[in-house]
Amino acid sequence: MLEMIAALQPLVVGAVLVWSARVKLLNRHAAATVNRSALVRLVGERRALPAYRLLGGVELALGGLLLLPPTPRWEAAAATALAGGFLAYLTYARRAAPTSSCGCLSARATPVSGRSVARAGLLVAAGGLAALTTAGWTAALTARPLAGVAVLLIELAAVVALSPELDRAWLLPLRQLRVRLTHPLRGNSGVPLLASVQQLQLSDAYRRVAPLLRSDIREHWDDGGWRFVGHAARYQGRPATAVFAVPLTDAEPGSVRVAVVDDATGHTLLSLAGTPPATGPHLSVVPA
Amino acid sequence: MHQTLDRRRLLATAALGGVVGATGLGSLAPEAAFAADAVAVEPGMPDPNFAEGRISKISGNMLLVTGSDTVLHSIRITDGTSIWKLHPTTFDRVAVGDGLYARGVRLPDGTLAADSVWVNIVNLHAHIASVGRNVLHLDHKGQRIVAHVVTGRSAAVYNGTPAVSDMSLLRVGRHVQVLGAWHPDTNEIDIATVYAAA
Repeated sequence: MLEMIAALQPLVVGAVLVWSARVKLLNRHAAATVNRSALVRLVGERRALPAYRLLGGVELALGGLLLLPPTPRWEAAAATALAGGFLAYLTYARRAAPTSSCGCLSARATPVSGRSVARAGLLVAAGGLAALTTAGWTAALTARPLAGVAVLLIELAAVVALSPELDRAWLLPLRQLRVRLTHPLRGNSGVPLLASVQQLQLSDAYRRVAPLLRSDIREHWDDGGWRFVGHAARYQGRPATAVFAVPLTDAEPGSVRVAVVDDATGHTLLSLAGTPPATGPHLSVVPA
Repeated sequence: MHQTLDRRRLLATAALGGVVGATGLGSLAPEAAFAADAVAVEPGMPDPNFAEGRISKISGNMLLVTGSDTVLHSIRITDGTSIWKLHPTTFDRVAVGDGLYARGVRLPDGTLAADSVWVNIVNLHAHIASVGRNVLHLDHKGQRIVAHVVTGRSAAVYNGTPAVSDMSLLRVGRHVQVLGAWHPDTNEIDIATVYAAA
């Protein structure tokens, strides 16, 4: 069994290397990808792109050699060394430039995470396992096709699962499907305070008393179809409270009323009722 | 409690019962008469009327706050101070360890008499990584943030239209901007407002 698994490892490692090389060699935005990666820190800005392309070339050559039988031990050893290099690089990137992108299997900017490191570790293990045998993967697959395909699928699934840059292809659709089936965010209703605040801030009443206001909202309460919103205010040197009345059922800013009440005496210093909408032709602006 | 109700009744009557344009001090003056003094801040200098930091001590109505640049601020909470902690709230809900932004007037003794205090307020741009029962898992520059939907408090603004309570148009994988209240020393927040495209 172990012999068979070991014989299949060149296929897994080779496939991952060729995929990785494809990103590094064929990606038109490689320069941008490199600039986001920790490679710039490691080899300098001028040498980062050539180093990235060179790495892609090495990956392609080694991956191709691994995929094509026969697979002498030095190929597996070289792949193990390369994967060990990835592991060291990712560990370095996490320490030295934690905000940098991995630049590994996709051009998508993905921070280096524990999963990327685990994937590099998996490749090291697969390379090491491959070095145990020189049996070709074709022979192993023809001898036990079902078990062989199962091992390959499980390993490739593990590589995909450990690749944060591939989440968009499988994990997000799965989560979207779960949300569509379970509707976890439904069941919130009512007029939020922010809706009333937006309405009052668009109102003529607010525009006219805004210079008097000193504080953000201090209190708010609902009563008889109105929402009352109180701000601290100052009117000709006296501490006062500006209280806005916003109708809960009418979203028209023109219906907002305001009063400024003296804190000490309780007298109304100023009050403005809503202005009726202007008659005649008017321009209606619809938010985009 | 009774006092609050009386006061609210007074304020509500004032707001709803007023006569257009009339004031207790004569006729309504034009807006220019109300104009506040311009805030004079020298370019490049810190705004003297603003403070931020974590609360290290609360004594009476004073907050001792350590700024993120380790500057110490004394902030006085007055009768007119508005306090926000996910929603407009009262001074007794403020605790040691909370973060805050405060705006007010710097007094001659160096304390800041606060007009408004926003406790634990955060403003994040993030992607929705996954959605659970009344919870969003946000991906913020590679860090995971757990954002709780608070029933009756959280609001959503879709495409810049007026705020609604309905959160169900949020989509996994989409970009959102979230205003919320941080749970100190955790990666969790309560959502005040989430801005999204729908």
